[in-house]
Amino acid sequence: MSHKVPVANKIKTDLHEILEVRNLTDSTFVMRFERKGLEFEAGQHICVGPPNGIHTREYSIYSAENDDYIEILVKEVENGLVSPSLKKLQKGGFVVVEEPVGYFTINNKLPKNQKYVFIASGTGVSPFHSFVLSKPEIDYTLLHGVKYGSEGYESETYDKKRYVKCTSREGTGNYYGRVTDYLKENKFGKDVQYFLCGNCNMIHDVYDILEEQGVSTDNIHAEVYF
Amino acid sequence: MFQLAKKRVGFKTLGCRLNQFETDAMASKFVAMGYDVVEDSKDTDVFVVNTCTVTNQSDQKSRYAVNHALKNGHNGMLIITGCMANHHKEALEELYPNAYVVDNENKSAIPQLVQAHFNKEIVPANTTQGGVFNYAPASETFHTRSMIKIQDGCDNFCTFCIIPKVRGRATSRPVEDILKNITEVVGFGYKEVVITGVNISRYEHEGVKFSGLLAKILDLPFDFRVRISSIEPDGFDDEFFALLTHPKMTPHLHLCLQSASESVLLQMRRMYTYRSYKQIVQRLREIDPKFNITTDIIVGFPGESEEDFQASLDSVDQIGFSHVHTFKYSKRDNTRAARMTNVIPEKVKSDRSEQLRHKTAEAKRNYRQQFIGSEQTVLVEKIDKRGFAHGYGEYYVPVQFKADEVKKNSFYKVKLTGLTDSREEPVLIGQLID
Ligand SMILES: Cc1cc2nc3c(=O)[nH]c(=O)nc-3n(C[C@H](O)[C@H](O)[C@H](O)COP(=O)(O)OP(=O)(O)OC[C@H]3O[C@@H](n4cnc5c(N)ncnc54)[C@H](O)[C@@H]3O)c2cc1C
Ligand code: SF4
Repeated sequence: MSHKVPVANKIKTDLHEILEVRNLTDSTFVMRFERKGLEFEAGQHICVGPPNGIHTREYSIYSAENDDYIEILVKEVENGLVSPSLKKLQKGGFVVVEEPVGYFTINNKLPKNQKYVFIASGTGVSPFHSFVLSKPEIDYTLLHGVKYGSEGYESETYDKKRYVKCTSREGTGNYYGRVTDYLKENKFGKDVQYFLCGNCNMIHDVYDILEEQGVSTDNIHAEVYF
Repeated sequence: MFQLAKKRVGFKTLGCRLNQFETDAMASKFVAMGYDVVEDSKDTDVFVVNTCTVTNQSDQKSRYAVNHALKNGHNGMLIITGCMANHHKEALEELYPNAYVVDNENKSAIPQLVQAHFNKEIVPANTTQGGVFNYAPASETFHTRSMIKIQDGCDNFCTFCIIPKVRGRATSRPVEDILKNITEVVGFGYKEVVITGVNISRYEHEGVKFSGLLAKILDLPFDFRVRISSIEPDGFDDEFFALLTHPKMTPHLHLCLQSASESVLLQMRRMYTYRSYKQIVQRLREIDPKFNITTDIIVGFPGESEEDFQASLDSVDQIGFSHVHTFKYSKRDNTRAARMTNVIPEKVKSDRSEQLRHKTAEAKRNYRQQFIGSEQTVLVEKIDKRGFAHGYGEYYVPVQFKADEVKKNSFYKVKLTGLTDSREEPVLIGQLID
């Protein structure tokens, strides 16, 4: 007997030309490259690497679902392997890109008036940038934890009333302190969908705080960067 | 009339149930082609090593299986397939120039490859038509249970795991294809089907998710029972829990935990928390207080503190696992965890692994003990020389009973009266109920 055979599911990679690089701080930049028909849902990530190496790393997609290019927001990590070599690339160069994956996405079956709280540390704001651009009608509050005020990364994209920059090292944001302190002082409720993205320690602490506030784990979604 | 001797094909299978499923399916194709199927390389015309690469140890075991066959004089056709073949193709081809190294995507074409080889056609190993689900139902396999593969690949990218890189992106098999496959295997006389795949809770085909598929499987109008193999504890919906009460469903899940420390789970990039794991367990035990939960736990993941390990150890009693498959963390190149720096010394890993194994043995005995005095419906898998039937009850507890008129691959009602002494694998002893 014969069965219908789907095509094998090998990971597809391709070279994409870099269309633009925007330096946001000394270490953090947005890289825009050709989309080449890649389909994705806001919140998914892609593996990207320099064209001449065998290494790639995961980066959340920063641009919107309908843009005709793809953007990623990258922080150059000191002594890192891939991010410093991505930083050296210029417009007209190429990157290796794997097809988008991931489950850090918004469930389209939730009601239209669903409230969301997005909690990011550092470049963990990237998938939220894509959410907000892709779904302009979404009812959200974005808490962005950074060290310094200059690390807002194109925060003008967000509605001022919905964006809270929590700066931990200086009082230049909307809140002086960690994002976790802000969350302890400001409860958003049990019916909200919480999306957490960035470093492990922040996510760990936020889980604890939300549990204390009686939020069910079903309403918490996390994307761990490192 | 002169008859040609039957050709013999031998299999050695390492690693997960999915590999076992694929070996069974290949074996059935070989049987259909007139081959004798055996479980080693001795006197075989073809020897297939279905490898695994999930840990360094599995790599070693896979290589050992190939070397062992060659050392014992295997000079027939040698096929190396499975995840190690995907991962180290070039190196294997260099090391074993006479072997066909066949990647997972082309595994199902191995019988055609063998025919082509014996027909003296030159067929490069990785270009024959294959595909990840191209298996006929296993009518003649080594088991009484039939594994039904519903999906392949994984997009979860846990930081310790190489499978998404070697198996590739998640793909789900069409619903109709699965139902047809089950209809066939039940027609062949199988009484139990095991739903299998790399990450089955992420099954999705044309809008049908895992629960939807399971409902359709359970709706098939035949007499068989359904077991779910290894499953990730995420993406369970209310429908899934409701289906677990279906009379065809067996009350057992192998629910992968990996660690009970919340911070280790985050570092592993698992898609759930220990809190949510406990909630799932609570719902399972509300359905059935004896619901059998087995799991995998990794010890010695980078950065695992004594406290983290203790959490995993405590989970054995908290959850009431009946079995824990303990893995010592081993670094896999090209994974995120391989770049983590806070490595746990080998001695500490061994010590933790030993403690967990010890605890598991106790838990297993406690779990099985509670069935003494109750009845189980046992699917007989084997009858030994002493006339003892061996099989598993619906809770996936091993049972043995003395039986004179008992047939393999049939269900029997058995009253459980005791437990054997074995520390690692105590078996329930029963009496056949007329
Ligand atoms: C799903 C996913 C999505 C990600 N999305 C993004 C993204 O949108 N933007 C982004 O900049 N990074 C993102 N990362 C992290 C990214 O994949 C790399 O880990 C990072 O760029 C460092 O890679 P490297 O090769 O330079 O350093 P490596 O040599 O791999 O690692 C050096 C060390 O740097 C630390 N590190 C990793 N990422 C960061 C970071 N962002 N800030 C500070 N320290 C870090 C880690 O502890 C690591 O041990 C994501 C990771 C995952 C798993
Ligand atoms: S769920 Fe995690 S451990 Fe399981 S196959 Fe996928 S990546 Fe590997």
